[in-house]
Amino acid sequence: MNLVVRYEENVDGGFLAPYGTYRSNLDYNTEIVRNLIIDRRLSPFYTPLQDFDESWTDDELLIILSQLSLHSIETAYSDAEEEDDVDNHKIHKSTNYYKRQEQKAKLQSLVARVKDIQKEEENRYLEEKMRLKKQIQIQVSPDIPSRDLLRKLYRNATECPICFLYYPKYLNVSRCCLQPICTECFVQIKRLDPHPPHDDSSNEPGSEELPHTLISEAASCPYCASPDFGVTYDPPRLISTGINGSIKAGNYIEPFQSIPEDAVTSSPGSGTNVQPSVAIDEMRVMKKGAKNGKRRASLAADAPGVITVDMIRPDWEQKLISARNKLARKAATASAIHASNLIINEEEDDPSNSPRRRRFSAPMARETSSNRSRPGTNSAANHLRTVEERMIEEALRLSLIDEEERKKKVDAEERKKNQSN
Amino acid sequence: MAALPKRIIKETERLVSDPVPGITAIPKEDNLRHFEVFIDGPSSSPYAGGHFSLELFLPDDYPMCAPKVRFLTKIYHPNIDKLGRICLDVLKDNWSPALQIRTILLSIQALLGAPNPDDPLANDVAEDWKKDEKKAIETAQSWTKQYASAKLQE
Repeated sequence: MNLVVRYEENVDGGFLAPYGTYRSNLDYNTEIVRNLIIDRRLSPFYTPLQDFDESWTDDELLIILSQLSLHSIETAYSDAEEEDDVDNHKIHKSTNYYKRQEQKAKLQSLVARVKDIQKEEENRYLEEKMRLKKQIQIQVSPDIPSRDLLRKLYRNATECPICFLYYPKYLNVSRCCLQPICTECFVQIKRLDPHPPHDDSSNEPGSEELPHTLISEAASCPYCASPDFGVTYDPPRLISTGINGSIKAGNYIEPFQSIPEDAVTSSPGSGTNVQPSVAIDEMRVMKKGAKNGKRRASLAADAPGVITVDMIRPDWEQKLISARNKLARKAATASAIHASNLIINEEEDDPSNSPRRRRFSAPMARETSSNRSRPGTNSAANHLRTVEERMIEEALRLSLIDEEERKKKVDAEERKKNQSN
Repeated sequence: MAALPKRIIKETERLVSDPVPGITAIPKEDNLRHFEVFIDGPSSSPYAGGHFSLELFLPDDYPMCAPKVRFLTKIYHPNIDKLGRICLDVLKDNWSPALQIRTILLSIQALLGAPNPDDPLANDVAEDWKKDEKKAIETAQSWTKQYASAKLQE
């Protein structure tokens, strides 16, 4: 539910939930990200522009902006293609299959609900925007961003180098190489799933060997590949609207008479006097500022203010541990089967102890094993035997089910025949 | 088919408007995530003069996961197996969403110029390469002539 973009939930002209550029990997901790945005430690989710042209006039820009929706519902949730489950083609569906189906159904209903809520939200937003257009000022929700705010934010939109969409220039910057990244792309970046190390022999093609261990490395910077990717965010100094802001987004008026914020860091001489030239002036100042202004050095991953990918997905360690446990269980089962095979082979060499007889008379098998004079191995052998017995029971059970199913089919067909007759 | 993300549209446009010398990548009409690629062998390598055909596919998660690339032309190279699969770190764990189709294809072209028999995919080729590099290079040259000469494909 935290993935719904609500227009009341705005921070400095952006929102607390993603626009919907990506359909997957939305498994980050939404609560943490919402709070980071409210605390101005991470850039809000701004609505992206698909294209941007510096030659657009303010009016053209505002028209385009006014047509944007809060969320790209259609592309984001449209064809959640039916994934093929491996068990769909099997006669006997594992218990996991039903669990998976249940989860899938749950997820689908959740997606449908999110979609509905988002649509409602979209309609309310549209209504408010219509009122704004008709100049019914009093009734307009103060959460609809003012023209000034939109112009201020999007006048010098910059392209996020990962999704290629245009955002207000107040983006997060990588802690290591100071490259911009929008929050929507940032929450996509995460550790790789636990995997065996690169030089592990189980990586060889065709190898059936189980990996010895699993590792999960912290995500590296997409731009410079420094380990432990993290970003910092400098909130705009002159925009403070919405949640925990000083004013509502609808009440923002661009402070024409004051010095543009970029001028604070660079040339104080470039004051602004004539309104239409403000944008151009500011652009110049901005470019200068980028060159001459203080450029912060790279920061360490644990420096204050740095948000790392692990901070918004704190469950990574749990995932790694459970993947390792799963591997350990798999390895234990594999060695148990291996050991029991060895014992069967030994027994097959001994004609007096036919394994076939033992298989169908479990209690007897236990007797014979206790009769055998092999001190020390008895309990282990017994344990393996029970494992083996269980496997056989399972095989028997499955073949019984098979038979039943076959009978049912035959019955059904006969009934059909009778009916048609 | 789902709407194509803006990123893929823009990358395609830029590949067409500003092509990389020696590399072409054209999306197929029936699936714009599926590209037909040609890479020219680097001039200082045993693959010089070769015109190699590849296919590239952008999975649903692109750019959060790497494109899938495969050689269609037969090639004698320690890091490319007989199915055309390529062993290249940036196609696997070292993929970064800041990379693009363009940069990936450049990496593949660079791999042709710098075979790495110490991290092999085609074990037999890598062994030949380590045992007798001169002979291996000759084989690579003759395969290039035989399978990848531009004239053959026209």
